[in-house]
Amino acid sequence: MQVYDSSAKQIPVISQIKSIYENRGLLRLLVVRDLTVRYKRSVIGVWWSLLNPLFTTAVMFYVFNTVFKSKLPNGAPFLPYLLSGVLLITLFNQGLTMGADAIATGAGVLTKVYVRPEIFAASASISSAVNFLIGLGPLTIVLLFYHRTPTWHFPMILLVIFFMTLFTTGLSLLLSIAYIYFDDSRSLINIFLTALQYMTPIFYPVSVLGPHTKDVILLNPLTSFLEIFRHEFGNGAISTLRNWEIMVGSSVFAFIIGFYIFSRQWPKVVAKL
Amino acid sequence: MTDELIVEATEVSLAYRRTRHRVSSLKQTAIDTINRRMSYEQFFALQNVSFSIARGETLSVVGRNGAGKSTLLKVIARVLPPNSGRVIVRGHVAPMIELGAGFNPELTGAENIVLYGTLLGRTPKEMKNRIEAIAEWSDLTEHLDIPIRAYSSGMTARLAFATATDVTPDLLIIDEILSVGDADFKAKSAARTQEMMNAGCAVLLVSHDLDAVRRLSSRAIYLDHGIPKLIGSPDEVIENYLSDVAH
Repeated sequence: MQVYDSSAKQIPVISQIKSIYENRGLLRLLVVRDLTVRYKRSVIGVWWSLLNPLFTTAVMFYVFNTVFKSKLPNGAPFLPYLLSGVLLITLFNQGLTMGADAIATGAGVLTKVYVRPEIFAASASISSAVNFLIGLGPLTIVLLFYHRTPTWHFPMILLVIFFMTLFTTGLSLLLSIAYIYFDDSRSLINIFLTALQYMTPIFYPVSVLGPHTKDVILLNPLTSFLEIFRHEFGNGAISTLRNWEIMVGSSVFAFIIGFYIFSRQWPKVVAKL
Repeated sequence: MTDELIVEATEVSLAYRRTRHRVSSLKQTAIDTINRRMSYEQFFALQNVSFSIARGETLSVVGRNGAGKSTLLKVIARVLPPNSGRVIVRGHVAPMIELGAGFNPELTGAENIVLYGTLLGRTPKEMKNRIEAIAEWSDLTEHLDIPIRAYSSGMTARLAFATATDVTPDLLIIDEILSVGDADFKAKSAARTQEMMNAGCAVLLVSHDLDAVRRLSSRAIYLDHGIPKLIGSPDEVIENYLSDVAH
């Protein structure tokens, strides 16, 4: 029999992970719900979620390839390079904002039924990971178009997805708290996300940057995620050990800090919902 | 085991800090912080509330609007953690607080039964086996495969009630007695609620319908500004509450 004891000692992070694991049935349902609502019920189905990254890529390709005549120094084709960047940044943005939204606007459920809000953050990150996997289809087509193929070690990108899921789940918990406390945090985060996008080498290679700019860009964890993704999928980038250190370190750090702060703040903010 | 305690609440208090100007923007907070105008007040939603509910017992909560009744239900439903004091709840809880919270309008009736049931603490596997029984009970078998945004509000409420009451819980939390659907369904849901009460589950009931409180409950608690003013027999508590309201 289940017993709820409000005074029971809860170890932050550990107990939260345990409860997500215990509710994995619910987690799976929430992911399926997200995907069903998005795909099955809309006329153009799967293409709908790809429309945004594909359209963004088309616009940027026109601007940088045709207008600015950008070339990658190593001679790699620009389009797959660009598309992989857009897909990865979409994975990050979607996981982050969908998760935070699910909690901040989840008052309907979260204040009526006992369910750990962390499950909503995790499900948002996982559904955007599924969208990302779907986006690999068009990316492969684009690669083939340039007579290239994904590398033999491309399953390594599953690690990129795994760490990105940790990263966005942790950050979206923090963001959800900000959303609940401050109404204007949504517009501020959009400015921040735009800045972050330009600080990620989506449409330019790291090698063209000056030493100082390069240092700043490399500090952005998304740069490491992206460089590793491109390296592992075969889109003209080299990943370094330093990239791996930043990716693993920042995602584990964001995950632990996010869960820890959330476990402290949630009891205070749930009354505000 | 009729004297088994399902709910034990000891000295439960819930307070939250709220800012005096009710600011909720970062901009305003920053300005106020710089001007040192930030001031908080402690708002006590519940103060030292203690009670217990044994199996088979019904405890009602009465009080004015904003007295903390719904907050109390949410604390017992585990949604709001208390600041101090202790809450122990043993067994499966069915919180009938705004039924259907968690329904997704884009999903079909069948999908929503599984999702809602899982949110209420059962497993998806269990719920999948119960879809047909729940649909039949709520008379929605023919509408199972359409998204519930096409349902009428009565149909949605029936589906929610049927899903939430599919198993007899150990503790039933009721925020206002339900009046969902047509006369037939009303009678049916009242009968189901009574059946669950008779089956020996503990009930925590909030209602403004004092006749229902008198009829259904074994004990009652009168909350005033979050403070439990009186716990006792329903008649005694209602009398005390009514004399306060009259003043």
